[in-house]
Amino acid sequence: MTSSLPGFLFAIPFFAAIVIPVVGFTNQKLCRPIALGALVFLSIVSVIGLSEAISHGPLSHEFGGWAPPIGIEWVIDGLSGLLMVAISVVSLIALVHAGPLVEKELSGRVIPFYSLSLLLIAALGGMVLAGDLFNLFVFLEIGSLASYVLVGVAGGRSLLSAYRYLILGTIGASLYLLGVGYFYAETGTLNMADMALRLPDVLDSRAVLTGLIFIVLGLSIKMGLFPLHGWLPDAYTYAPDSCTPLLASVVTKVPLYAFVRIAFWVFGMATVTTQIPILVVLGWVGAVAAIVGAYRAIWQENFKRMLAYSSVSSMGLIMLGFSLGTETGFAGGLFYLLADTLMKAALFGVAGAASYQYGASTVTDLARLRRNMPWVLAALVISALSMVGIPPTAGFFGKWHLVVGALEAEKYFAVVAILVTSMLTALYFFRMFQRVWAEESLPLVEPHVLETPFPIKMSLGVLTFWIIALGLGSDLVMGLIFESVIPKGF
Amino acid sequence: MADILLYRPHFVAFIILFLLGIYIMVVCLNLVKKLIGMYIMQTSIMLFFITLAVKEDSTIPIILPSVTALAPEAYANPLPHVLMLTAIVVGVSTLGVSLAMVIALYREYNTLEEDQILEKMK
Repeated sequence: MTSSLPGFLFAIPFFAAIVIPVVGFTNQKLCRPIALGALVFLSIVSVIGLSEAISHGPLSHEFGGWAPPIGIEWVIDGLSGLLMVAISVVSLIALVHAGPLVEKELSGRVIPFYSLSLLLIAALGGMVLAGDLFNLFVFLEIGSLASYVLVGVAGGRSLLSAYRYLILGTIGASLYLLGVGYFYAETGTLNMADMALRLPDVLDSRAVLTGLIFIVLGLSIKMGLFPLHGWLPDAYTYAPDSCTPLLASVVTKVPLYAFVRIAFWVFGMATVTTQIPILVVLGWVGAVAAIVGAYRAIWQENFKRMLAYSSVSSMGLIMLGFSLGTETGFAGGLFYLLADTLMKAALFGVAGAASYQYGASTVTDLARLRRNMPWVLAALVISALSMVGIPPTAGFFGKWHLVVGALEAEKYFAVVAILVTSMLTALYFFRMFQRVWAEESLPLVEPHVLETPFPIKMSLGVLTFWIIALGLGSDLVMGLIFESVIPKGF
Repeated sequence: MADILLYRPHFVAFIILFLLGIYIMVVCLNLVKKLIGMYIMQTSIMLFFITLAVKEDSTIPIILPSVTALAPEAYANPLPHVLMLTAIVVGVSTLGVSLAMVIALYREYNTLEEDQILEKMK
């Protein structure tokens, strides 16, 4: 069905990103309401887009009236609709949370923060909606540029990690572009749907194989998949606290979406498991990534660095789910992706709140939350339990579906990897709890502690609510995924 | 091997430039030199795309009003050029952002060598 909704979804945050510097130049206080208003509007429109796509089939928009495959096409189907809702809602909550933090740590850079955040969200939306491999590249780069700057916006130490992120990210994007070039040389098209029709004839060619390898390598750098995660721990540790909930929750998930789109929609399930068995390799990579990420997290003293390694581990689990090659595995991977988006936003949000109130950055420092911030501590406990996989949280059901999918596929190494990862995750979060509750040497009087600002409390509360709600409503979400997301060919 | 050099010299040039770019990015400690490597790598990909469009005995893809019967093989493929125009813009903005970061790093640490910056961070 033709509709202008996909273009609209990109236009809302993009125009807000342009309006903010213009309006903010005269009155800086208007930046935040404009950004939040645009994101509320975006969330509503993306929910409409998802429900339309589910009830009426995919919505597509042709730019300039040129019909695809010659023209550029943007599509909302079940998968992109779901991702779009996740991106818009989580980034809205992340920006609500960022309000007090921005005033404190980025006081002179309020305009760039809001403008770049919205540009980042617009680019992520463009990546999710693009039905064209080259368009995907352009939005990948716009989004990456915005996130490099967001990592380094505070200056100082974060600049070097932003610079390294930029260098590695550019290598990733170049590899992706090169892969697209190989595909284009072999098929003569860039439109994903058209390429899916033409690829089966040329699957024997070495150019397609090489192109797929380049694309997977490039996207793996962007998504921080072990062993190409080198940029991730430093970038997440030194990025300003106001940016990390947004960066850690959505920025790595969308390149993963791009991979899923290319593997399952452009190539198709049968090709990537048998003819070019890239999923077999990625299954092992994902398993190793999940275990190594969780293992490295155990040894981190810095709370944000621990969470960064935990992101590496989650990315491995999600990749493992997608590579299982069964419907349940695919749905479980997607469900865990959504759950991890919420959990990482909540955990980095807690890290931001702790550093806002006490300047706390190490795991031991978190003990101070116990005294004055019980609600933030509750959010930390619930999202940590969800990361470990305790029912009824979303993390438990995500891992449950992953294990069921692995058993269905009879891939026992995957079952072992998921269980070992859960145990290691339990180890580093329980180590954290032990520090929080067993530490006796707290200063009795906290100097000038303020009440936790309302936006922080509210956003953490909403995220925690959604973590539990997604767990309790997991049957509903899984039903939706099975009905309108699963690609053909299983 | 000799065949490739004879019939596809542009692919060989592309591979040499691409690897050279990555080599510079990995080996050099100077932040600006790394960016030079990055730019060489991006440009090599543009070379690769542009050479895809080349056809023997073809002309620029502008259709004159006098032409009535269109023969696609008479024109060079315009699409890779258009794609690379976009990629050039992307490359330039990446370079702009990265140079701004290098300037900020220089103001902070007074050096452009990565090892010296790491030394000063401790």
